[in-house]
Amino acid sequence: MSMLSIENVTAGYVEEIDILRDVSLEVKEGAITGIIGANGAGKSTVLKTIFGFLHPRQGKIKFQGREIQNNLPYQMKEMGISYMLQEHSTFHDLSINDNLLLGAWTFRQDKKRVNRRMEEIYNFFPVLSERKAEKAGYLSGGLLRMLSVGKEIMSEPTLLMIDEPSVGLQPNIVTEIYDLLIKIAQQGTTILIVDQNIMKALEVSDYMYMLDMGEVKQGGPKEDFEEDIREMIKVSLMAE
Amino acid sequence: MSMGINFIYGIMKVINWSMGEFFMIGAFVQYILLTSFLGATYWYVGVVISALIVFFLGALVQRLLIKPMFVGIIEAKMEYATIVTIAMAIFLRNLAVLIGGPYIYTPPDYAGPTQILTLPISGNRLVALIGALFLLALFYYFIKKSWTGKAFQGVAQNRSGVQTAGVNVLKYDMLAFGIGTALAGAGGALLAPIFLVHPMCGLVPTVRGFEIIVIAGLGSIPGILVAGLTLGIAESLGSAFINPSFVDIYGFILLVIILSIKPYGLFGKAEREV
Repeated sequence: MSMLSIENVTAGYVEEIDILRDVSLEVKEGAITGIIGANGAGKSTVLKTIFGFLHPRQGKIKFQGREIQNNLPYQMKEMGISYMLQEHSTFHDLSINDNLLLGAWTFRQDKKRVNRRMEEIYNFFPVLSERKAEKAGYLSGGLLRMLSVGKEIMSEPTLLMIDEPSVGLQPNIVTEIYDLLIKIAQQGTTILIVDQNIMKALEVSDYMYMLDMGEVKQGGPKEDFEEDIREMIKVSLMAE
Repeated sequence: MSMGINFIYGIMKVINWSMGEFFMIGAFVQYILLTSFLGATYWYVGVVISALIVFFLGALVQRLLIKPMFVGIIEAKMEYATIVTIAMAIFLRNLAVLIGGPYIYTPPDYAGPTQILTLPISGNRLVALIGALFLLALFYYFIKKSWTGKAFQGVAQNRSGVQTAGVNVLKYDMLAFGIGTALAGAGGALLAPIFLVHPMCGLVPTVRGFEIIVIAGLGSIPGILVAGLTLGIAESLGSAFINPSFVDIYGFILLVIILSIKPYGLFGKAEREV
Protein backbone atom coordinates (compact mmCIF):
# COMPACT_ATOMS: atom_id res chain seq x y z
CA MET A 1 0.00 0.00 0.00
CA SER A 2 1.27 3.44 -0.67
CA MET A 3 1.85 5.52 2.43
CA LEU A 4 2.82 8.73 0.72
CA SER A 5 2.07 9.84 -2.79
CA ILE A 6 3.12 12.91 -4.64
CA GLU A 7 0.93 13.75 -7.59
CA ASN A 8 2.11 16.11 -10.33
CA VAL A 9 3.83 18.49 -7.95
CA THR A 10 5.42 21.68 -9.20
CA ALA A 11 7.35 23.75 -6.65
CA GLY A 12 10.11 26.31 -6.31
CA TYR A 13 11.61 28.86 -3.94
CA VAL A 14 11.31 31.96 -6.07
CA GLU A 15 8.40 33.00 -8.20
CA GLU A 16 8.44 31.75 -11.77
CA ILE A 17 11.43 29.47 -11.20
CA ASP A 18 10.29 25.88 -10.80
CA ILE A 19 12.72 23.54 -9.11
CA LEU A 20 10.35 20.57 -9.34
CA ARG A 21 8.34 20.09 -12.49
CA ASP A 22 5.35 17.81 -12.50
CA VAL A 23 6.93 15.33 -10.13
CA SER A 24 4.97 12.21 -9.19
CA LEU A 25 6.22 9.49 -6.91
CA GLU A 26 5.06 6.99 -4.36
CA VAL A 27 6.40 5.66 -1.08
CA LYS A 28 5.22 2.17 -0.19
CA GLU A 29 4.54 1.25 3.40
CA GLY A 30 7.31 -0.67 5.14
CA ALA A 31 9.79 -0.23 2.30
CA ILE A 32 12.86 1.89 1.74
CA THR A 33 12.47 4.24 -1.18
CA GLY A 34 15.51 6.00 -2.59
CA ILE A 35 15.72 9.16 -4.65
CA ILE A 36 18.90 9.66 -6.59
CA GLY A 37 20.13 12.25 -9.01
CA ALA A 38 22.91 14.74 -9.61
CA ASN A 39 23.59 17.91 -7.70
CA GLY A 40 20.77 20.38 -8.20
CA ALA A 41 18.36 17.79 -9.55
CA GLY A 42 15.82 18.78 -6.89
CA LYS A 43 16.18 15.79 -4.56
CA SER A 44 16.28 17.81 -1.35
CA THR A 45 13.51 20.03 -2.61
CA VAL A 46 11.24 17.00 -2.85
CA LEU A 47 11.73 16.33 0.87
CA LYS A 48 11.33 20.00 1.80
CA THR A 49 8.09 20.14 -0.14
CA ILE A 50 6.73 17.00 1.52
CA PHE A 51 7.55 18.34 5.00
CA GLY A 52 5.92 21.70 4.37
CA PHE A 53 8.99 23.91 4.36
CA LEU A 54 7.90 24.69 0.84
CA HIS A 55 4.37 24.53 -0.51
CA PRO A 56 3.76 23.21 -4.01
CA ARG A 57 2.40 25.60 -6.61
CA GLN A 58 0.51 22.77 -8.23
CA GLY A 59 -0.28 19.18 -7.45
CA LYS A 60 -1.18 17.17 -4.39
CA ILE A 61 0.71 15.38 -1.65
CA LYS A 62 -1.15 12.65 0.21
CA PHE A 63 -0.05 10.95 3.40
CA GLN A 64 -2.12 7.93 4.47
CA GLY A 65 -4.87 9.13 2.18
CA ARG A 66 -5.02 12.69 3.57
CA GLU A 67 -4.00 15.72 1.56
CA ILE A 68 -1.12 17.47 3.31
CA GLN A 69 0.30 19.91 0.77
CA ASN A 70 -0.83 22.94 2.78
CA ASN A 71 0.34 21.73 6.19
CA LEU A 72 3.14 23.34 8.18
CA PRO A 73 6.20 21.40 9.37
CA TYR A 74 5.01 20.98 12.96
CA GLN A 75 1.75 19.48 11.71
CA MET A 76 3.70 16.96 9.60
CA LYS A 77 5.61 15.95 12.69
CA GLU A 78 2.38 15.46 14.61
CA MET A 79 1.11 13.22 11.80
CA GLY A 80 4.12 10.96 12.18
CA ILE A 81 6.58 12.18 9.58
CA SER A 82 10.17 12.85 10.62
CA TYR A 83 12.71 14.62 8.49
CA MET A 84 16.45 14.51 8.93
CA LEU A 85 17.91 17.56 7.25
CA GLN A 86 21.00 17.52 5.11
CA GLU A 87 22.53 20.28 7.19
CA HIS A 88 22.68 19.42 10.88
CA SER A 89 19.31 19.37 12.54
CA THR A 90 20.88 19.42 16.01
CA PHE A 91 21.45 22.25 18.49
CA HIS A 92 25.13 22.94 19.07
CA ASP A 93 24.77 24.73 22.39
CA LEU A 94 22.49 22.15 24.00
CA SER A 95 23.62 18.91 25.60
CA ILE A 96 23.12 15.60 23.80
CA ASN A 97 20.42 14.81 26.31
CA ASP A 98 18.52 18.05 25.60
CA ASN A 99 18.90 17.53 21.85
CA LEU A 100 17.19 14.17 22.13
CA LEU A 101 14.57 15.61 24.50
CA LEU A 102 13.59 18.18 21.89
CA GLY A 103 13.02 15.23 19.54
CA ALA A 104 10.27 14.21 21.97
CA TRP A 105 8.60 17.61 21.72
CA THR A 106 5.34 16.33 20.22
CA PHE A 107 4.65 14.03 23.18
CA ARG A 108 6.35 16.05 25.94
CA GLN A 109 3.29 15.79 28.20
CA ASP A 110 3.68 12.02 28.34
CA LYS A 111 6.57 11.70 30.79
CA LYS A 112 6.57 7.92 30.80
CA ARG A 113 6.85 7.70 27.03
CA VAL A 114 9.62 10.33 26.99
CA ASN A 115 11.66 8.37 29.53
CA ARG A 116 11.05 5.09 27.73
CA ARG A 117 12.11 6.53 24.39
CA MET A 118 15.21 8.16 25.87
CA GLU A 119 16.27 4.81 27.25
CA GLU A 120 15.60 3.05 23.96
CA ILE A 121 17.55 5.63 21.98
CA TYR A 122 20.50 5.38 24.35
CA ASN A 123 20.43 1.60 23.97
CA PHE A 124 20.35 2.05 20.22
CA PHE A 125 23.29 4.50 20.29
CA PRO A 126 25.53 3.49 23.22
CA VAL A 127 28.15 6.07 22.14
CA LEU A 128 25.70 8.87 22.78
CA SER A 129 24.74 7.63 26.23
CA GLU A 130 28.37 7.83 27.33
CA ARG A 131 28.46 11.54 26.48
CA LYS A 132 24.96 12.64 27.53
CA ALA A 133 25.97 15.90 29.20
CA GLU A 134 28.33 17.05 26.46
CA LYS A 135 27.28 19.83 24.14
CA ALA A 136 26.39 18.71 20.63
CA GLY A 137 28.79 21.30 19.22
CA TYR A 138 31.73 19.21 20.43
CA LEU A 139 30.72 16.05 18.54
CA SER A 140 32.38 14.78 15.38
CA GLY A 141 30.52 14.77 12.07
CA GLY A 142 29.61 11.09 12.32
CA LEU A 143 28.33 11.34 15.87
CA LEU A 144 26.35 14.45 15.00
CA ARG A 145 24.68 12.52 12.20
CA MET A 146 23.83 9.78 14.69
CA LEU A 147 22.45 12.36 17.09
CA SER A 148 20.30 13.73 14.26
CA VAL A 149 18.98 10.26 13.52
CA GLY A 150 18.32 9.73 17.23
CA LYS A 151 16.50 13.02 17.57
CA GLU A 152 14.29 12.28 14.57
CA ILE A 153 13.36 8.73 15.55
CA MET A 154 12.56 9.76 19.15
CA SER A 155 8.97 10.31 18.05
CA GLU A 156 8.67 6.79 16.55
CA PRO A 157 7.70 8.15 13.13
CA THR A 158 5.73 6.13 10.61
CA LEU A 159 7.71 7.76 7.82
CA LEU A 160 11.32 8.84 8.18
CA MET A 161 12.77 11.07 5.47
CA ILE A 162 16.53 11.37 5.30
CA ASP A 163 18.49 13.85 3.26
CA GLU A 164 22.03 12.84 2.27
CA PRO A 165 23.02 10.72 5.27
CA SER A 166 26.44 9.98 3.84
CA VAL A 167 27.62 13.40 2.76
CA GLY A 168 30.93 14.49 4.28
CA LEU A 169 31.53 11.29 6.23
CA GLN A 170 34.35 8.80 5.97
CA PRO A 171 33.38 5.47 4.32
CA ASN A 172 33.33 3.26 7.43
CA ILE A 173 31.01 5.70 9.19
CA VAL A 174 28.78 5.84 6.11
CA THR A 175 28.44 2.07 6.38
CA GLU A 176 27.64 2.40 10.07
CA ILE A 177 24.92 4.97 9.39
CA TYR A 178 23.39 2.85 6.65
CA ASP A 179 23.41 -0.19 8.93
CA LEU A 180 21.49 1.90 11.45
CA LEU A 181 18.95 2.87 8.83
CA ILE A 182 18.40 -0.74 7.86
CA LYS A 183 17.88 -1.56 11.54
CA ILE A 184 15.34 1.25 11.84
CA ALA A 185 13.53 0.01 8.73
CA GLN A 186 13.41 -3.51 10.16
CA GLN A 187 11.61 -2.12 13.19
CA GLY A 188 8.80 -1.15 10.86
CA THR A 189 9.56 2.44 9.91
CA THR A 190 9.03 3.40 6.30
CA ILE A 191 12.00 5.30 4.94
CA LEU A 192 12.40 7.80 2.12
CA ILE A 193 16.04 8.51 1.48
CA VAL A 194 17.82 10.99 -0.74
CA ASP A 195 21.45 10.37 -1.50
CA GLN A 196 24.11 11.26 -3.99
CA ASN A 197 25.90 8.09 -3.05
CA ILE A 198 24.11 6.01 -5.66
CA MET A 199 25.70 2.70 -4.78
CA LYS A 200 24.74 2.97 -1.11
CA ALA A 201 21.24 4.11 -1.90
CA LEU A 202 20.81 1.27 -4.37
CA GLU A 203 22.08 -1.26 -1.85
CA VAL A 204 19.44 -0.51 0.75
CA SER A 205 16.45 0.66 -1.28
CA ASP A 206 13.50 -1.43 -2.40
CA TYR A 207 12.18 1.23 -4.75
CA MET A 208 14.09 3.92 -6.57
CA TYR A 209 13.41 7.16 -8.37
CA MET A 210 15.84 9.09 -10.45
CA LEU A 211 15.47 12.85 -10.67
CA ASP A 212 17.03 15.03 -13.28
CA MET A 213 16.51 18.78 -13.63
CA GLY A 214 13.45 18.63 -11.41
CA GLU A 215 11.74 15.85 -13.30
CA VAL A 216 11.36 12.17 -12.57
CA LYS A 217 13.35 10.35 -15.24
CA GLN A 218 12.68 6.86 -14.05
CA GLY A 219 11.06 5.12 -11.13
CA GLY A 220 9.98 1.76 -9.81
CA PRO A 221 11.16 -1.38 -8.02
CA LYS A 222 14.90 -1.68 -7.71
CA GLU A 223 15.10 -4.78 -9.92
CA ASP A 224 13.89 -2.81 -12.91
CA PHE A 225 16.79 -0.48 -12.38
CA GLU A 226 19.68 -2.88 -12.25
CA GLU A 227 20.27 -2.75 -16.00
CA ASP A 228 20.20 1.00 -16.12
CA ILE A 229 22.51 1.59 -13.21
CA ARG A 230 25.63 1.69 -15.28
CA GLU A 231 24.00 4.25 -17.50
CA MET A 232 22.73 6.24 -14.51
CA ILE A 233 26.13 6.43 -12.89
CA LYS A 234 27.60 7.60 -16.15
CA VAL A 235 24.93 10.26 -16.47
CA SER A 236 25.35 11.48 -12.93
CA LEU A 237 29.14 11.55 -13.19
CA MET A 238 28.93 13.56 -16.34
CA ALA A 239 26.47 15.95 -14.74
CA GLU A 240 28.90 16.62 -11.92
CA MET B 1 15.61 45.70 29.11
CA SER B 2 18.77 44.30 27.61
CA MET B 3 17.44 40.83 28.25
CA GLY B 4 14.35 41.61 26.22
CA ILE B 5 16.22 42.97 23.22
CA ASN B 6 18.68 40.11 23.38
CA PHE B 7 15.97 37.48 23.65
CA ILE B 8 13.96 38.73 20.69
CA TYR B 9 17.13 39.01 18.62
CA GLY B 10 18.17 35.50 19.59
CA ILE B 11 14.88 33.98 18.54
CA MET B 12 13.87 35.96 15.50
CA LYS B 13 17.18 37.53 14.46
CA VAL B 14 15.35 40.82 14.55
CA ILE B 15 16.18 43.83 16.69
CA ASN B 16 13.17 45.53 18.20
CA TRP B 17 13.87 49.23 18.14
CA SER B 18 10.64 50.09 19.90
CA MET B 19 11.66 48.42 23.17
CA GLY B 20 11.96 51.82 24.86
CA GLU B 21 8.34 52.53 24.02
CA PHE B 22 7.20 49.25 25.55
CA PHE B 23 9.23 50.28 28.60
CA MET B 24 7.36 53.60 28.55
CA ILE B 25 4.00 51.83 28.26
CA GLY B 26 4.93 49.64 31.24
CA ALA B 27 5.74 52.78 33.22
CA PHE B 28 2.46 54.48 32.24
CA VAL B 29 0.38 51.42 33.06
CA GLN B 30 2.12 51.15 36.42
CA TYR B 31 1.49 54.84 37.14
CA ILE B 32 -2.22 54.54 36.33
CA LEU B 33 -2.53 51.34 38.37
CA LEU B 34 -0.82 52.81 41.42
CA THR B 35 -2.58 56.17 41.44
CA SER B 36 -6.09 55.00 40.54
CA PHE B 37 -6.49 51.37 41.64
CA LEU B 38 -3.84 49.74 43.74
CA GLY B 39 -2.13 52.41 45.83
CA ALA B 40 1.61 52.55 46.49
CA THR B 41 1.79 49.54 48.81
CA TYR B 42 0.88 47.07 46.07
CA TRP B 43 3.48 48.26 43.59
CA TYR B 44 4.68 44.68 43.00
CA VAL B 45 1.20 43.64 41.87
CA GLY B 46 1.34 46.59 39.51
CA VAL B 47 4.65 45.39 38.05
CA VAL B 48 3.15 41.98 37.28
CA ILE B 49 0.01 43.46 35.71
CA SER B 50 2.03 45.97 33.65
CA ALA B 51 4.28 43.18 32.39
CA LEU B 52 1.24 41.10 31.45
CA ILE B 53 -0.44 43.95 29.59
CA VAL B 54 2.76 44.75 27.70
CA PHE B 55 3.17 41.04 26.92
CA PHE B 56 -0.19 40.92 25.16
CA LEU B 57 0.47 44.21 23.41
CA GLY B 58 3.87 42.98 22.19
CA ALA B 59 2.42 39.67 21.02
CA LEU B 60 -0.30 41.55 19.16
CA VAL B 61 2.21 43.85 17.46
CA GLN B 62 4.28 40.83 16.42
CA ARG B 63 1.20 39.05 15.10
CA LEU B 64 0.01 42.01 13.04
CA LEU B 65 3.24 43.63 11.87
CA ILE B 66 6.21 41.30 12.19
CA LYS B 67 4.77 37.85 11.53
CA PRO B 68 3.75 38.45 7.91
CA MET B 69 7.39 38.63 6.85
CA PHE B 70 8.18 35.22 8.34
CA VAL B 71 5.50 33.49 6.34
CA GLY B 72 6.76 32.55 2.94
CA ILE B 73 10.23 33.36 1.77
CA ILE B 74 11.02 37.04 1.90
CA GLU B 75 14.47 38.49 1.78
CA ALA B 76 15.69 41.45 3.83
CA LYS B 77 13.70 40.59 6.97
CA MET B 78 16.08 42.59 9.09
CA GLU B 79 15.54 45.78 7.11
CA TYR B 80 11.79 45.31 7.16
CA ALA B 81 11.79 44.75 10.92
CA THR B 82 14.01 47.76 11.50
CA ILE B 83 11.65 50.05 9.65
CA VAL B 84 8.54 48.57 11.24
CA THR B 85 9.86 48.77 14.79
CA ILE B 86 11.27 52.28 14.38
CA ALA B 87 7.92 53.38 12.99
CA MET B 88 6.26 51.68 15.97
CA ALA B 89 8.52 53.64 18.32
CA ILE B 90 7.61 57.00 16.80
CA PHE B 91 3.94 56.09 16.70
CA LEU B 92 3.79 54.93 20.32
CA ARG B 93 5.75 57.93 21.59
CA ASN B 94 3.38 60.35 19.87
CA LEU B 95 0.38 58.36 20.99
CA ALA B 96 1.62 58.79 24.54
CA VAL B 97 1.90 62.56 24.05
CA LEU B 98 -1.61 62.59 22.63
CA ILE B 99 -3.08 60.67 25.54
CA GLY B 100 -0.98 61.81 28.48
CA GLY B 101 0.20 65.19 27.27
CA PRO B 102 3.80 66.38 27.45
CA TYR B 103 3.85 66.12 31.24
CA ILE B 104 6.10 64.28 33.59
CA TYR B 105 4.21 62.14 36.09
CA THR B 106 5.73 61.09 39.39
CA PRO B 107 4.54 57.78 40.79
CA PRO B 108 4.60 57.22 44.55
CA ASP B 109 7.77 55.79 46.08
CA TYR B 110 7.93 52.02 46.40
CA ALA B 111 10.02 52.17 49.55
CA GLY B 112 11.58 54.85 51.72
CA PRO B 113 15.31 55.50 51.87
CA THR B 114 17.16 52.70 53.61
CA GLN B 115 20.65 51.89 54.66
CA ILE B 116 22.73 48.82 53.84
CA LEU B 117 25.32 48.68 56.62
CA THR B 118 26.80 52.15 56.33
CA LEU B 119 25.65 52.84 52.79
CA PRO B 120 22.52 54.95 52.44
CA ILE B 121 20.50 54.01 49.39
CA SER B 122 17.20 55.17 47.91
CA GLY B 123 14.48 52.61 48.52
CA ASN B 124 13.34 52.83 44.91
CA ARG B 125 16.75 51.91 43.59
CA LEU B 126 17.05 48.99 45.97
CA VAL B 127 13.64 47.74 44.86
CA ALA B 128 14.61 48.13 41.21
CA LEU B 129 17.86 46.24 41.78
CA ILE B 130 16.21 43.36 43.60
CA GLY B 131 13.34 43.27 41.13
CA ALA B 132 15.70 43.18 38.13
CA LEU B 133 17.81 40.42 39.68
CA PHE B 134 14.67 38.45 40.45
CA LEU B 135 13.45 38.84 36.85
CA LEU B 136 16.82 37.77 35.46
CA ALA B 137 16.93 34.71 37.69
CA LEU B 138 13.37 33.76 36.83
CA PHE B 139 14.04 34.19 33.12
CA TYR B 140 17.28 32.19 33.30
CA TYR B 141 15.56 29.35 35.13
CA PHE B 142 12.66 29.36 32.66
CA ILE B 143 14.99 29.18 29.65
CA LYS B 144 17.26 26.48 31.06
CA LYS B 145 14.76 24.20 32.74
CA SER B 146 11.34 24.30 31.11
CA TRP B 147 10.27 22.59 27.89
CA THR B 148 9.26 25.94 26.47
CA GLY B 149 12.65 27.36 27.38
CA LYS B 150 14.39 24.49 25.62
CA ALA B 151 12.27 25.09 22.56
CA PHE B 152 13.31 28.75 22.65
CA GLN B 153 16.96 27.73 22.79
CA GLY B 154 16.29 25.39 19.90
CA VAL B 155 14.68 28.12 17.82
CA ALA B 156 17.63 30.42 18.52
CA GLN B 157 20.23 27.81 17.55
CA ASN B 158 18.69 26.04 14.59
CA ARG B 159 15.41 27.21 13.13
CA SER B 160 15.01 24.33 10.68
CA GLY B 161 16.16 21.77 13.22
CA VAL B 162 13.56 22.82 15.74
CA GLN B 163 10.85 22.59 13.10
CA THR B 164 11.76 19.00 12.31
CA ALA B 165 11.32 18.37 16.04
CA GLY B 166 7.74 19.53 15.67
CA VAL B 167 7.90 22.98 17.26
CA ASN B 168 5.55 25.54 15.75
CA VAL B 169 8.12 28.31 15.24
CA LEU B 170 5.62 30.97 14.25
CA LYS B 171 3.86 30.59 17.59
CA TYR B 172 7.16 30.76 19.46
CA ASP B 173 8.20 33.87 17.55
CA MET B 174 5.08 35.56 18.85
CA LEU B 175 5.65 34.32 22.40
CA ALA B 176 9.27 35.47 22.28
CA PHE B 177 8.28 38.92 21.13
CA GLY B 178 5.66 39.10 23.87
CA ILE B 179 8.08 37.93 26.58
CA GLY B 180 10.80 40.27 25.36
CA THR B 181 8.53 43.29 25.42
CA ALA B 182 7.07 42.15 28.76
CA LEU B 183 10.58 42.26 30.22
CA ALA B 184 10.84 45.85 29.00
CA GLY B 185 7.40 46.62 30.42
CA ALA B 186 8.34 45.15 33.80
CA GLY B 187 11.51 47.23 33.68
CA GLY B 188 9.46 50.34 32.99
CA ALA B 189 7.16 49.59 35.91
CA LEU B 190 10.06 48.85 38.27
CA LEU B 191 12.01 51.96 37.32
CA ALA B 192 9.01 54.31 37.12
CA PRO B 193 9.83 56.19 40.37
CA ILE B 194 13.44 56.65 39.26
CA PHE B 195 13.15 57.63 35.59
CA LEU B 196 9.65 59.09 36.16
CA VAL B 197 6.82 58.63 33.68
CA HIS B 198 6.66 60.61 30.45
CA PRO B 199 6.49 59.87 26.72
CA MET B 200 10.28 59.93 26.30
CA CYS B 201 11.14 57.97 29.44
CA GLY B 202 12.09 54.89 27.47
CA LEU B 203 14.87 56.60 25.58
CA VAL B 204 17.69 56.52 28.11
CA PRO B 205 17.02 52.91 29.17
CA THR B 206 17.01 51.84 25.50
CA VAL B 207 20.38 53.44 24.89
CA ARG B 208 21.70 51.81 28.07
CA GLY B 209 20.15 48.52 27.01
CA PHE B 210 21.97 48.54 23.68
CA GLU B 211 25.21 49.64 25.33
CA ILE B 212 24.99 46.71 27.72
CA ILE B 213 24.28 44.27 24.90
CA VAL B 214 27.20 45.49 22.83
CA ILE B 215 29.52 45.31 25.82
CA ALA B 216 28.24 41.86 26.78
CA GLY B 217 28.14 40.45 23.27
CA LEU B 218 24.87 39.48 21.58
CA GLY B 219 23.27 36.36 22.96
CA SER B 220 24.90 36.04 26.36
CA ILE B 221 22.72 36.07 29.47
CA PRO B 222 25.44 36.07 32.19
CA GLY B 223 27.24 38.65 30.06
CA ILE B 224 24.35 41.07 30.56
CA LEU B 225 24.80 41.01 34.34
CA VAL B 226 28.52 41.64 34.15
CA ALA B 227 28.17 44.31 31.47
CA GLY B 228 25.39 46.04 33.39
CA LEU B 229 27.52 46.17 36.52
CA THR B 230 30.58 47.33 34.61
CA LEU B 231 28.60 50.09 32.95
CA GLY B 232 27.16 51.20 36.29
CA ILE B 233 30.56 51.27 37.94
CA ALA B 234 32.12 53.17 35.04
CA GLU B 235 29.37 55.79 35.22
CA SER B 236 29.61 56.17 39.00
CA LEU B 237 33.39 56.41 39.02
CA GLY B 238 33.29 58.86 36.14
CA SER B 239 30.80 61.12 37.85
CA ALA B 240 32.64 60.93 41.19
CA PHE B 241 36.14 61.57 39.90
CA ILE B 242 35.71 63.51 36.67
CA ASN B 243 32.45 65.37 36.27
CA PRO B 244 28.89 64.26 37.02
CA SER B 245 27.40 66.27 34.14
CA PHE B 246 28.81 63.88 31.56
CA VAL B 247 27.42 60.73 33.12
CA ASP B 248 26.10 59.30 29.83
CA ILE B 249 29.45 59.67 28.10
CA TYR B 250 31.42 57.36 30.40
CA GLY B 251 29.43 54.38 29.26
CA PHE B 252 30.21 55.09 25.63
CA ILE B 253 33.90 55.54 26.39
CA LEU B 254 33.85 52.14 28.09
CA LEU B 255 32.04 50.71 25.08
CA VAL B 256 34.66 52.01 22.64
CA ILE B 257 37.49 50.65 24.79
CA ILE B 258 35.92 47.22 25.10
CA LEU B 259 35.05 46.99 21.43
CA SER B 260 38.59 47.90 20.42
CA ILE B 261 39.95 45.09 22.58
CA LYS B 262 37.18 42.48 22.13
CA PRO B 263 35.17 43.22 19.00
CA TYR B 264 32.52 40.59 19.82
CA GLY B 265 31.92 42.00 23.30
CA LEU B 266 32.99 40.46 26.58
CA PHE B 267 31.06 37.22 26.21
CA GLY B 268 30.04 37.24 22.56
CA LYS B 269 30.98 34.46 20.21
CA ALA B 270 32.32 34.94 16.74
CA GLU B 271 29.65 34.14 14.16
CA ARG B 272 30.30 30.70 12.84
CA GLU B 273 29.50 29.70 9.31
CA VAL B 274 29.04 26.01 8.70
